Amino acid sequence: MKDQTTATPELTLERVNTPPAQTWNYLRANDITLTVPQLSRKGDVYFALPRLFEGIECGVGPQATAWVVSQAADARYVEVRAGERKAEPIVVDVDANDGDVHDVGIMVRAGAEACVVVNVHGTDGEPATSGALVRIIAERGAKIRVLEFVAAGSAQQHVESVGIQAAQDARVSVRQYFLCAGTLVAGIATSLDGDGARIDHACRYLVREREVADINHVVRQRGRNTRADVRETGVLDGHAKKALRATIDLVHGSKGSEGTELESVLMLSDDVTNKTVPTILCDEDDVSGNHGASIGPVGPEQFQYLRDRGLTQQEAEALYVRALFDEALIAAPTPEVRANVLARARMVLGDDVANDLVEGLGLNEEGA
Amino acid sequence: MSEKTQKRTQVADVDRSLYDFIYSEEGYERYDDGLTPDIVRAISAKKDEPEWMLNMRLAALETYHTKEMAPNWGPSIAGLDMDHISTYVSPKTKQAKSWDDVPDDIKNTFERLGIPEAERESLAGVGAQYDSEIVYHNMREEVSKEGVVYTTIEDALHDPQWEPVVRKYFGTLIPPADHKFAALHYAVWSGGSFVYVPEGVTVAYPLQSYFRLNAEGAGQFEHTLIIVEKGADLHFIEGCSAPKYYEANLHAGAVELFVKDGARLRYSTIENWSKNMYNLNTKRARVAADAKMEWVSGSFGSHVSYLYPTTILQGDRSSCEFTGITFAGATQDLDTGCKVILNGANTTASVDTKSISKDGGCNTFRSSVVIGRHAQNARASVSCQSLMLDDISRSDTIPAMDVRNATASVGHEATIGRISDDTVLYLMSRGCSEAEARTMVVGGFANPVSKELPLEYAVEMNNLIKLEMEGAIG
Repeated sequence: MKDQTTATPELTLERVNTPPAQTWNYLRANDITLTVPQLSRKGDVYFALPRLFEGIECGVGPQATAWVVSQAADARYVEVRAGERKAEPIVVDVDANDGDVHDVGIMVRAGAEACVVVNVHGTDGEPATSGALVRIIAERGAKIRVLEFVAAGSAQQHVESVGIQAAQDARVSVRQYFLCAGTLVAGIATSLDGDGARIDHACRYLVREREVADINHVVRQRGRNTRADVRETGVLDGHAKKALRATIDLVHGSKGSEGTELESVLMLSDDVTNKTVPTILCDEDDVSGNHGASIGPVGPEQFQYLRDRGLTQQEAEALYVRALFDEALIAAPTPEVRANVLARARMVLGDDVANDLVEGLGLNEEGA
Repeated sequence: MSEKTQKRTQVADVDRSLYDFIYSEEGYERYDDGLTPDIVRAISAKKDEPEWMLNMRLAALETYHTKEMAPNWGPSIAGLDMDHISTYVSPKTKQAKSWDDVPDDIKNTFERLGIPEAERESLAGVGAQYDSEIVYHNMREEVSKEGVVYTTIEDALHDPQWEPVVRKYFGTLIPPADHKFAALHYAVWSGGSFVYVPEGVTVAYPLQSYFRLNAEGAGQFEHTLIIVEKGADLHFIEGCSAPKYYEANLHAGAVELFVKDGARLRYSTIENWSKNMYNLNTKRARVAADAKMEWVSGSFGSHVSYLYPTTILQGDRSSCEFTGITFAGATQDLDTGCKVILNGANTTASVDTKSISKDGGCNTFRSSVVIGRHAQNARASVSCQSLMLDDISRSDTIPAMDVRNATASVGHEATIGRISDDTVLYLMSRGCSEAEARTMVVGGFANPVSKELPLEYAVEMNNLIKLEMEGAIG
């Protein structure tokens, strides 16, 4: 925990969340610039990750990754032994109120299975900047599940960076629930190095009021017959600003690989700004790359269906938000995460709806 | 005139003799390579321009020298050295209204390209530019009688009726400071077309401008300015080609299109520059209420292209369709696409593009769809399909969407893949060779674009595809 009450030197991080290929600069969709605190670590010695983790590409880019590494105290290294099915999730708990910064490296040995949970929680209050850097090496046939939940305060900014290397036949599942923060910068880069490696990635976000969410998803498909399935679904309301860059990179040699990326954005207010840059880079012929995006309000047919059942437009739109919390609660693997999601649900949807969610899932009021 | 000895080029596998022929520049007026205020003044003096145009050129030159290229942009243009490009080359001839008055070598050039024949059969008017100057310009009398003006910018500037119109519109849609090569264009522009279609007039046949760059190590910087008044209708066709050289050539034209209330403009392009050409062209249209802009674009040539026609749907209920195909073969790195800005309410945009990469060619499709705050109920859809014909080529798609209105809907889809073995096998089992089968599939892939073109241009496009597909199978 760091004391941020005294004036802390600041650092400007440029070209954060930059995708491998960029669009026109005047669209201001290629990256984000962040001002972050910079605590001096001179004279201290902390535990650092083994050097092979330095070679892992992370979603937020080298500058922001270096910042997290420089600000985290002891890095945490976790190794899951070959063939082990680790029952307890590896939890990275980030208190955004305190500006926690974590640097975690996880080695999942051949055939092992593990679950990683990043839980970012904060309340509206003092400004703070938190960070979580999770780098994962999934060896041959390993199975890794990554669950991320971000619900920081409206005055807080959080940097969430993930880098994954997947060897032959490794399976990676990522589920992200960005219930949001004053400013969220979230990047994930996955390198499917081995033949037959696969990632299934679902990202759901709710960005509202004056929140900013800047998201960068990169999948490099290097091995043969790799599979990438990336789906983003989100709701924007109030004066929210969201940018999503999603890249499927079919590298030369990735014959037989398929990459798909789809985004669906529901816009609930005329004051929101949505930027989407879905990119396919293809340097191989025997591959398939697809992406799609759908951006707009509730479709007229869907809305008519709901109106026929007595719902107003506002109620219909609220259903989509509720569904997001419903799914996040179902996916939440620990009581702490459920409590975090539930607290945000109470703030966004109100106590009645939150209680309804709890009841529907058979949980107690704290989400346990 | 004797033909120059043809040099061996990087594209020797394809017979492009239809486009690859060179006539001597002997006797031509050629300005020194490089960019100086004296050269800009000389071009302006040669055209006896009004002072405002000279001032605009000189200011643009200053902008060119001070403006930097974005460091993170597209294919490299490091091979382009402006110190080795002549910005003005002109044959010693005056603009003619009859092909009989055009010098033989130039006339032969356009005859081989089929321009006079197309003019006789299916065009309302033709402008033919050879290097830096228009050498032939003519329009059918009945079209002229309806008040349609189709001339060069230079002639319009010398006409008291049209000089104020040129002054009002020229450089307003694409400002000189737009980007480095827009600035270059305004400094040294020469040739191009000025078209004015009066209110309510429908031009039954297309107008066509054809740009031929014959000179080695030269640039072509034509400016096209088209104003389609309220309720009018025009189809404008632009064609371009050049013979191949080892030395870099440059095309940095500009196209400014103004489509007024309820009007319709279709702008078709078959671009077949030679593969030593840097094609850094800028095209932009502003579309008023209830008006429609249609782009049909076929990009086959050039070494490097930066080409992204832009449509600004300013008026309510205005619409835009963009249909394009890009074929990148050996040594080509083509960065193409389009931009649409939807500002008016109930505006619609539809983008449908195809790209084909072969023999190590690189295609990058870029698009941007920007929906402004006031674009209530705007609708936009973007579809991009890319075909990879071998594993040494490359195809990237980089679309961007910026949506700022909650009632707007934007859809986007893109796919990249190859010709399936099953399809080739099916066609081969019915008697096609593998090469024929692949050519047929590519032809079918391009069909949505070619069917948007007049028949003779669709035939030309299909011929270009066949040319490019020759030697596709090792």
